Amino acid sequence: MTSETPSKENLQIKSTAADTFKRLMRFMSFRVLMLVVTIVVAVYSTIMIANMGGYVDTIMRNDIRESTIMKVAAMTANKPISGDARRQMQEEMIALEEKRLGLDTPFIIRSFRYLGNALTLNLGRAIYMVSDHGSKAVRAIILERLPATLLLMGTAELFLFFTSVFLALMLSRSYGSFWDKLVITLSPTSAAPPWFYGIFFILIFAAVLKILPFGGMVSSPPPETTIGYSLDLLKHMILPASSLVISAFFISLYNWRTFFLIYSSEDYVDMAKAKGLTSRDIERRYILRPTLPTIITNFALLIISLWTGATITETVFLWPGLGRTIFRAIGFYDTPVIVGTTIIYAYLLAITVFLLDFVYAIVDPRVKVGGGNK
Amino acid sequence: MANNAQYLLDIQELKLHFRTTKGVVQAVDGVNFQLKPNQAVVVVGESGCGKTSLAKAILRLLPRNVFHYGGKVYLNDLETMGLSDEEYRKQVRWIKMSLVPQAAMNSLNPVLRVGDQVAEPMMIHYGVKKDEAMQQAIKMFQHVGVPVDFINRYAFELSGGMRQRVAIAMSLVTAPALVMLDEPTSALDVLTQANIFNLLKRIKSEMATSFVLITHDIATSSELADRVAVMYAGQIVEVADAFTFFKQPRHPYSAKLMASVPKLRGNDEPDFITGQPPSLINPPTGCRFAARCPKRFGKCNEEPPTVTLGEDKVKCWLHV
Repeated sequence: MTSETPSKENLQIKSTAADTFKRLMRFMSFRVLMLVVTIVVAVYSTIMIANMGGYVDTIMRNDIRESTIMKVAAMTANKPISGDARRQMQEEMIALEEKRLGLDTPFIIRSFRYLGNALTLNLGRAIYMVSDHGSKAVRAIILERLPATLLLMGTAELFLFFTSVFLALMLSRSYGSFWDKLVITLSPTSAAPPWFYGIFFILIFAAVLKILPFGGMVSSPPPETTIGYSLDLLKHMILPASSLVISAFFISLYNWRTFFLIYSSEDYVDMAKAKGLTSRDIERRYILRPTLPTIITNFALLIISLWTGATITETVFLWPGLGRTIFRAIGFYDTPVIVGTTIIYAYLLAITVFLLDFVYAIVDPRVKVGGGNK
Repeated sequence: MANNAQYLLDIQELKLHFRTTKGVVQAVDGVNFQLKPNQAVVVVGESGCGKTSLAKAILRLLPRNVFHYGGKVYLNDLETMGLSDEEYRKQVRWIKMSLVPQAAMNSLNPVLRVGDQVAEPMMIHYGVKKDEAMQQAIKMFQHVGVPVDFINRYAFELSGGMRQRVAIAMSLVTAPALVMLDEPTSALDVLTQANIFNLLKRIKSEMATSFVLITHDIATSSELADRVAVMYAGQIVEVADAFTFFKQPRHPYSAKLMASVPKLRGNDEPDFITGQPPSLINPPTGCRFAARCPKRFGKCNEEPPTVTLGEDKVKCWLHV
């Protein structure tokens, strides 16, 4: 009676299972190759941009010349020395300094040396910037600022992500309700960046009401007990964190709500309702479960985005984070610092994208390694 | 009107209106019909006459833009419209009444194994352990002719016919007395359609299940039907015994509908109905079919009464 005998299909599945491993390896090596190419291109572009295509060399040369001339003038001020000898001394010192900084080799050659160093995570030394502990190592500068950024961004972004997903799920259930309309009405508030809200928060809560600090991460001098220190930190974090949250809250809620709304009008959701599942089960198994790949992608990208920090918001609140450091590095043309942060970001992004492929295959049965018959 | 408990399903003045940007759509507008145990009623009608909305109204699967939902639905002697959503979920959904949906592809969760989905209602409603529910699912798979090892497959790994069988297995797993079938074969090829109808016939005789079959395919559905209900513009215009209906439809619309089915033998050209079904936003007063009716006369401007002829009913002035 059945015209659809499964035997043929079964055979096909078994034969493909035999070379699944081979296909997986081919797929993985292709993926890795593509990602490596992406990283190389991204980092090299960053090196070119951060050096302004080599123009930073000219700036540095002029800088060296100026400071060396001043130095020589100071050194020889009280010595009987001829102008030629002084000039010779200047030129020798300039050549030495340029050699020390590698400026004697053409930029294009050095750019590839930089690329090699960057790719091997040999981040080198900053040109002008110094870490709070006095180190010029780029690694030290970044690592010193990273915890502050992760603390602020992590708190704000994770809070934002989980609250908006959770509330959006509830909101999608009451489409057209008062709260739903309120969120839609308020979503344009996200057009203003977080620092815009930050300025007003500082004005209201720090300047007028005087209940929260203007900025910074801890009071000066910092409280001595651990609990006191934590509370002080928390107090300093309230304003920057809430401006980060508020500026993105309604648009994020609106996005997720629309997303869930689309997926909750699928036929299988109706079917689940007809089957008599509780709304909690429907949400868990019939709305969240099929949309898990998208949610995970968003979450993973959010985690990487924490790395860059919030440049202007950190500056407004004098938060000693990475965003502010990058901002300052750009101002100083401090290319090693710019390249250093970029390369780490590129690696994190590549690793995340690579892992996401596997996560998809685990959470979504429809995703199969390419090259199959399906 | 009191309910007569001899009926398995008794629908009285069921209404379902939607709010749209153009106005209120009266998709189901005062539907009455009854169904006895172990009977199959076929609801036929053109596209857009409210057939699927009727199924949704009976199953209380309401879209977000409901404007008005009322009337009475009795299942045996249980009046379901009075139940709260939670009571309805616990007492009616998949226990008294289940559904075979229109498009089985989209009606199966793409990321859950089909076996789990078939077993799910047993676990929810009867608190059965997973193993036991899976055993029941396997039994149902055998019953509807799906290979047992398909329980571990996903919907996208099945053919259209197999998916529909899985959907039927799912609708039968809790052995409800009534199964609603919303165009269960409209996306399938003719051979598979015939297979599915044979399967439904077998289930009806073996499990004593009642069916409400919603379709526009009159020819195929005649295989299964005990009763036929003809729907037009949100209302039931004729309910009749299948045998009498197919021999001699009473309502002019039914007659036209029957005449539009191509026949293998005979020289009759398939007929068609001129004009469009009326808009359900502003349905015409009087008989809703009057504008397209070949037999219209003066009285048709007034609302026609429902005439009872033995077990059958027809909503037409011709039969008064």
